[in-house]
Amino acid sequence: MTTLLQAFAILAIITGAAFSTLGVLGYYRLPDVYTRLHATGKVSVFGVVLLVVAAAVLTPLGFGKGLVLIFMLVLGGPVASHAIASAAHTIGIPLARTTRDDLAVVQDAAPFDPGAGS
Amino acid sequence: MSAALSFVLHAALILHIALIALCVWRVWRGENVIDRLIGADLVGTLILGMLVIIAMIRGNALYIDVALGLAALGFVSTIALAKYVADGRMF
Repeated sequence: MTTLLQAFAILAIITGAAFSTLGVLGYYRLPDVYTRLHATGKVSVFGVVLLVVAAAVLTPLGFGKGLVLIFMLVLGGPVASHAIASAAHTIGIPLARTTRDDLAVVQDAAPFDPGAGS
Repeated sequence: MSAALSFVLHAALILHIALIALCVWRVWRGENVIDRLIGADLVGTLILGMLVIIAMIRGNALYIDVALGLAALGFVSTIALAKYVADGRMF
């Protein structure tokens, strides 16, 4: 049983490290900010979460702490990525090799006003 | 802990240190401010993974608590910096 758990942990660690490596390679090689953001999202949601799964299998930490950490990562990663992408589009970072920009059309039609609804 | 598991854990730790060095280089010589912000967020996430690997190597669940605190602080700092870049003010 212990050998089986260790084999599962080794598999999870190797997969997580591979996802982290691919994410950092994408951060290096992709052409603009938005595609780089797409690559780095994989590091937080797949790389670290698989490492936490391996830790929950191996160390006697109980599943509670690992579940809270996974919940925090899965909840926080997309929100942070969306905030960064929204900030990039707001200050006008150009898109590489794009055919059209849907968000620019929306912003031209109705400029975003935070205080309009209240 | 078996020898194979120990080898994989130490190899993953060294790999994460190398990836953090690459990201720090990119933050230093970035193209624009958003690129550097993504790099800083990525460094925080990789340090989180490093803490989890250290928790497995030492067999100590205390490092998972440190990783929890780092995840919360990194999330808040990324959101605050993105808002500062977009609006020009923090609050």
